[in-house]
Amino acid sequence: MKRRTLLRALACAPWLLPAARGAWAKAGDPGQPGLVTAFGRLPPPASIRRVFAAGAPASVLTAVLAPQALLGWPWRLSAEALGALPAPLRDLPLLGRLAGRGSTVSVETLLTLKPDLILDVGTIDATYASTAQRVAEQTGIPYALVDGRLLDSPRQLREVGGLLGVPARAETLATYAERTLALAARQRSAAAAGRRPGVYYARGPEGLETGLDGSINMETVEVAGGRNVAAEAGRGGVVRVSLEQVLGWAPEVILTQDAGFAERVMSDPLWRAVPAVRAGRVLCAPAVPFGWLDVPPSVNRLIGVRWLLAHLHGVGRAELERAGAEFYRLFYGTDFPGWAESGKRAGRTK
Amino acid sequence: MTIVETHALAIGHGRRRVGEGIDLAVGAGEVLCLLGPNGGGKTTLFKTLLGLLPPLAGEVRVLGEPVAGWSRAAFAQRVGYVPQAHAGIFPYTVEDIVLMGRAARVARFGAPSRHDREVAGACLDALGIGHLKRRVYTEISGGERQLALIARALAQEPVLLVMDEPTASLDFGNQIRVLEHIAELRGQGIAVLMSTHQPEHALRVADRIALLAPGGLAGIGAPAAVATPARLAALYGVGADAVAACLAPHLAAHPSTIPNPQESCPS
Amino acid sequence: MGGERQAGGPDEMSGASRVNADVAVPAARRAALLRLPAYALALALLGAVLVAAFAFGKFPVAPGDLLRSVAARLGGGDAGLPPAVETVIWNIRLPRIAAGMLVGAALAAAGAAYQGMFRNPLVSPDILGVSSGAGFGATVGIYLGWPLAAVQGAAFLCGLAAVGAVYAISGLVRRHDPVLVLVLAGVAVSTLLGAGISLFKIMADPYTQLTAIVFWLLGSLNGINALDLASAAPLVGLGLAPMLLLRWRVNLLSLSDEEAAALGVDVVRLRLVLIAAATLATAAVVSIAGVIGWVGLVVPHAARFLVGPDFSRLLPAALLLGAGFVVGADTLARTMAGIELPLGIVTALIGAPFFLYLLARSGRAE
Repeated sequence: MKRRTLLRALACAPWLLPAARGAWAKAGDPGQPGLVTAFGRLPPPASIRRVFAAGAPASVLTAVLAPQALLGWPWRLSAEALGALPAPLRDLPLLGRLAGRGSTVSVETLLTLKPDLILDVGTIDATYASTAQRVAEQTGIPYALVDGRLLDSPRQLREVGGLLGVPARAETLATYAERTLALAARQRSAAAAGRRPGVYYARGPEGLETGLDGSINMETVEVAGGRNVAAEAGRGGVVRVSLEQVLGWAPEVILTQDAGFAERVMSDPLWRAVPAVRAGRVLCAPAVPFGWLDVPPSVNRLIGVRWLLAHLHGVGRAELERAGAEFYRLFYGTDFPGWAESGKRAGRTK
Repeated sequence: MTIVETHALAIGHGRRRVGEGIDLAVGAGEVLCLLGPNGGGKTTLFKTLLGLLPPLAGEVRVLGEPVAGWSRAAFAQRVGYVPQAHAGIFPYTVEDIVLMGRAARVARFGAPSRHDREVAGACLDALGIGHLKRRVYTEISGGERQLALIARALAQEPVLLVMDEPTASLDFGNQIRVLEHIAELRGQGIAVLMSTHQPEHALRVADRIALLAPGGLAGIGAPAAVATPARLAALYGVGADAVAACLAPHLAAHPSTIPNPQESCPS
Repeated sequence: MGGERQAGGPDEMSGASRVNADVAVPAARRAALLRLPAYALALALLGAVLVAAFAFGKFPVAPGDLLRSVAARLGGGDAGLPPAVETVIWNIRLPRIAAGMLVGAALAAAGAAYQGMFRNPLVSPDILGVSSGAGFGATVGIYLGWPLAAVQGAAFLCGLAAVGAVYAISGLVRRHDPVLVLVLAGVAVSTLLGAGISLFKIMADPYTQLTAIVFWLLGSLNGINALDLASAAPLVGLGLAPMLLLRWRVNLLSLSDEEAAALGVDVVRLRLVLIAAATLATAAVVSIAGVIGWVGLVVPHAARFLVGPDFSRLLPAALLLGAGFVVGADTLARTMAGIELPLGIVTALIGAPFFLYLLARSGRAE
């Protein structure tokens, strides 16, 4: 509530008045507030041909909705990831990200790229909002901030699809997202009575980084009805934990996106003391072209939800192969790389 | 016996020459005082004698050997150096400081032996500061520190002591005490080469006085012949009357002001 | 004074450090009285910390179980405990505690040596850029996605290379106090490497690599295993050996270069040997534990407070206190909060106030 007030105050600041007419553009379901906050005057949908993605989640969202409009990648994709993408996306240049002081792209570069829209997807707070407002003001390029929670995926796809003038494609993808999330919602309400399996998501080179309760990195696990064991340590983002703590949490399942770690952990005598390792329940999620669990936290996680539902609860196990193929065909326009292949490639994102 | 001698020595840093054509010699049991203005090269000359700066020309011999030919340790067993008293940084005891004088005689990977401690204790007693042994060097007075540094140089068991303004920044009483100890060292057969800013100190202890001006020696010889008001006035660039007024009591009172015909006064 | 003294000479250096030096002033007065009890105190402290480190942790181990397990190890036989408990005590806590002792001892010894030879009690082992070099090596390794062992190797080698570069640069500058030139060259090279680290942080993948880099730079004993210990321990030993052998001679470097030379010391060679030894030990522990500040600065002060400045007494005290300090700080790091706190943060939280306390205390003693 406070954040909204602040945003409103920012938008209503006198120097913004000429530009603020287009702000607070709402799209989608009239009963709900929109996910998109716009700074500067948004152009009519059909006229957006060039989109600069401010961060990795925005680039994935643009890539699946309107691949021909994406100007480049805001972060360095591995050769494997690029190789797994279809032609227009595979050849896009690395442009850098736009994140206030942490930006790696200059405003001048931005101007030479002549985007019709700057798109940013993620957590919206006052810092991001004021950065967006400043960039929009300085460059005259409209800037759209989109709230990027996994559960809002269908609306993100529809609203941004509307913005980019691809409502039909957006509807197809949103429908897939809705079906996936509905499946997950049913499982969650069913498991509420029973117990949810304790899951430890091992990140980092030693597998000793993980997301706390409420971390954006743990959304996939939570949506898929897993119990994040690290939630015991409190709320927050990615933190370091000790193996002793992991032992104490005694997770039933260990998740990773690092094939190398998945292999090491099975032969490491220390990790053998964790129940999940003893039971062989170390699940390595594919990470090509984008991670199934996070990295980046965008609509690429939808297939991760399906995969977790199948592996944690046995939900949709039979259709998993088909659902994976459908996801890759719909979202990326490629063939599903297959389990063995994607598992091997999952190694490291560079 | 000549302990240290220089021949046609030129001193300075790198290309900058401070003095040249310096010929001097100090024998066993002799005190040679160096007088000269700031920038005259006293410290540079000492560093050259100690082998810390290379001679720009000419040579320095200690016990007949060129300085460059000595190993650092062997040299330190024969030549003691007393720097101006400094505050020190770490709270070493006075005994710790004096024991450092034994560095050239302690094995590379060893620590001071009981014998080294006895020598250090004897050196402290010789200077009358045996009671300071356990005190912290950084907490004693400036005069006591100067005495401790002299004790450290004595712990090197040297034949030559080089003292850089040993009376500078001392109070009146400590100045007298240090000068008395220097006179005693002469009695023990140690050659002493010291610099001072106070001609009256030189007159009090020196067997000979050397005047070091920018460019080289302006005179060397018996105190009475060298430390005359006229020559001191020329050396420091002040009036001869003023010098005479300051030094009159010393010139009259000191026994070594009796002219010695053997001494020569070059240039 | 004028031209007789060289600009920036040793006297200026010691004058500038005089205020700082007062921190350690009351030490030696105590030295004679406390010499033996001081070591006993340091040992007792280390013992208490070790017991606490074994007893506390996130995994609940009952004191009785701990004793039973220790007894079983010592006397042979089986304690009959769940394997997870045995793993926690012997395979997680033991290597971590051993690593803490190694890291603390190495950093404290290196700090004591550096403070002595740079005649400045505010110097820490990072002064010549070993930590920033290691940090840079690790950052590049993480950025390139190397395996952990290679990241550690890069950290170790870059730490040595940074100090080597500083020493080489200082050799090119003549006519200044060599210690001053070393310190200034160290500051410049560290800053340069710090900029390099920032550059790679900016370019790194913010979702995976950036957190790994940040955690590495904050230091931690988390995840250290027996292999890390086995690779770092011999290097630390190699670095400590010259310090132990030269323990008395190190004192002479606290004099000005010219004084030390006049006392028969080959100053340049002795300093080079000590820098190499201290750098080797520091680089070895930084490569397995990351950058851990304050240990090398504060522990030598505490040790000097107990046994006085003579390096042959200071070194063993610094080794004991350093080991105890890091193991203690690490025990706090893994128990204080719900998550694992970076060790570098905990050592700063304890070290900085303790340092100020010593400062205030010595001020009163004056």
